[in-house]
Amino acid sequence: MNNLVFGKYIPIDSLIHRLDPRAKLIGLFLMIAAVFIPKSWIAFLVIGVMIAIALLLAKIGIKMIVQSFKPMIVMLLFLMLINSLSIKTGYVLFSIGTFDVYSDAIFNTLFVIVRLLLMISITTLLTATTNPLDLTLGIEWMLKPLQVVHFPAHEVAMMVSIALRFIPTIIEETMRIMNAQKSRGVDFENGKLSEKISAILSLIVPLFSVAFERAYELADAMEARGYVPGAQRTRYHVLKFNFLDYLFIFICLLVMVFSILSRFYL
Amino acid sequence: MPISFKSLSYIYNKDMPYAHKALDNINLDIKEGVITAIIGETGSGKSTLVEHLNALLLPDEGSLQILDYEIVAGVKQKFLKPLRKDVGLVFQFSEYQLFEETIIKDVAFGPLNFGFAPEEAIKRAAEALKLVGIDQSLFEVSPLEISGGQKRRVAIAGIIACDPKIIVLDEPTAGLDPQGAKEIISLFVNLNRKLNKTIIIVSHDNEMVYNYCEETVVLSHGKIMYHGKTTDLFADKEKLKEFNLLEPQIVELKNMLIEKGFKISSEARTIEMIAKEVAGQVKR
Repeated sequence: MNNLVFGKYIPIDSLIHRLDPRAKLIGLFLMIAAVFIPKSWIAFLVIGVMIAIALLLAKIGIKMIVQSFKPMIVMLLFLMLINSLSIKTGYVLFSIGTFDVYSDAIFNTLFVIVRLLLMISITTLLTATTNPLDLTLGIEWMLKPLQVVHFPAHEVAMMVSIALRFIPTIIEETMRIMNAQKSRGVDFENGKLSEKISAILSLIVPLFSVAFERAYELADAMEARGYVPGAQRTRYHVLKFNFLDYLFIFICLLVMVFSILSRFYL
Repeated sequence: MPISFKSLSYIYNKDMPYAHKALDNINLDIKEGVITAIIGETGSGKSTLVEHLNALLLPDEGSLQILDYEIVAGVKQKFLKPLRKDVGLVFQFSEYQLFEETIIKDVAFGPLNFGFAPEEAIKRAAEALKLVGIDQSLFEVSPLEISGGQKRRVAIAGIIACDPKIIVLDEPTAGLDPQGAKEIISLFVNLNRKLNKTIIIVSHDNEMVYNYCEETVVLSHGKIMYHGKTTDLFADKEKLKEFNLLEPQIVELKNMLIEKGFKISSEARTIEMIAKEVAGQVKR
């Protein structure tokens, strides 16, 4: 479970790490939009260079991006196959037996690959440089306008941050219970189907009971400290936009405008 | 020797920039039929050491001999199940491993996994439950409905029912009330005396270690700092200071009595034993 790269926070200090999470979220949306608009390679090159600069500033190695891209390879091969079968425009690039592969099929797939690669780089950039708790604060802020229609923005953000907070705890708990059951002779890898079901049960039941117990304890602890859902609360961390944040959003906005214009002029 | 570590090392997150050597060149022989304590500060490698005894972790370097099983670094093992039957491991907060519908079924779960026939497993479960002091009227109750202390007993019964030759306990008394803790420890002392089980206890409770454990191993930063008689360790003030250990109250009492002119043997480890010796000398 330690090789999950996608969505992992890298706790180091960099220019990008220090940006306001809200600025980064706005930037993410602008950049993703920018990635999906253009149809020319020059536009992609420009966006790619911008993202590469951001990655450099964030001190994220290219290795991490490559790793987060790995799970997509099977999907992309499948896409390539479907495209080759269905797209019959452009010129014949090469033939396998009597089957012709057209240039547009390949170009289309390459477009999708580049777009996905850029999008994953952007999201990795956000999650790797933003502490999950800051991220939920940012999300809460973005959901705030919805409060007009009685959407519980704060409660949703609280739920998300609690869930994020407990992921490592639950993984740890799972490993512990697995070890305890292994000591009692449970084999999680081999065995007949009925044995496997009993093995999984011996893990899931205690895990559920522990999770519920933790939930009750957490609820008690929150109530004991005066937490009331929906109440007006002040913050310990007050988010504040500064010059760099505005600059960052401005640059992202420029990139998006550029990509819209590229549809007409490039 | 039932358990023998030979130059064993274990590294967490091997090949990662934040690799951490949890056990560093451990050489250790644990005696058969003796209660041995493993003590040391948090993060000293106690739990890592203990998980090797059940092959939950396999050594990165060196080897480990447990009874007739030999575990060598880098060699694939085939005898994990028989090894785990012979070495019972009671985890810290073991009550979280309960999951069956009834207590008796949960205790019989281990024996069933280790290949006992169903009737035999139930019989063993009932015996083990009686041993840990769970009343027969509770056998058909869900293990998730009883109190925390009772859950701990049921979990311990689940290990005893497998009939292990070696029992390893990781902080068995953590979170229990003093009376409950004493009962649990007496249970293992009895298992040791009557059935000659080898028992290894990981603990922070120096009083308990002094009272019941004949031998003590002190771990620090993945290295063995001391292995020998418990009474010798706690009689040595310099060693206690070096290892940052608190002197048990009972040692203080012994020293005070000796100062007043009583003769207390170094073997006296419990309040009862000291009282007996003092009483003998008062009569004269």
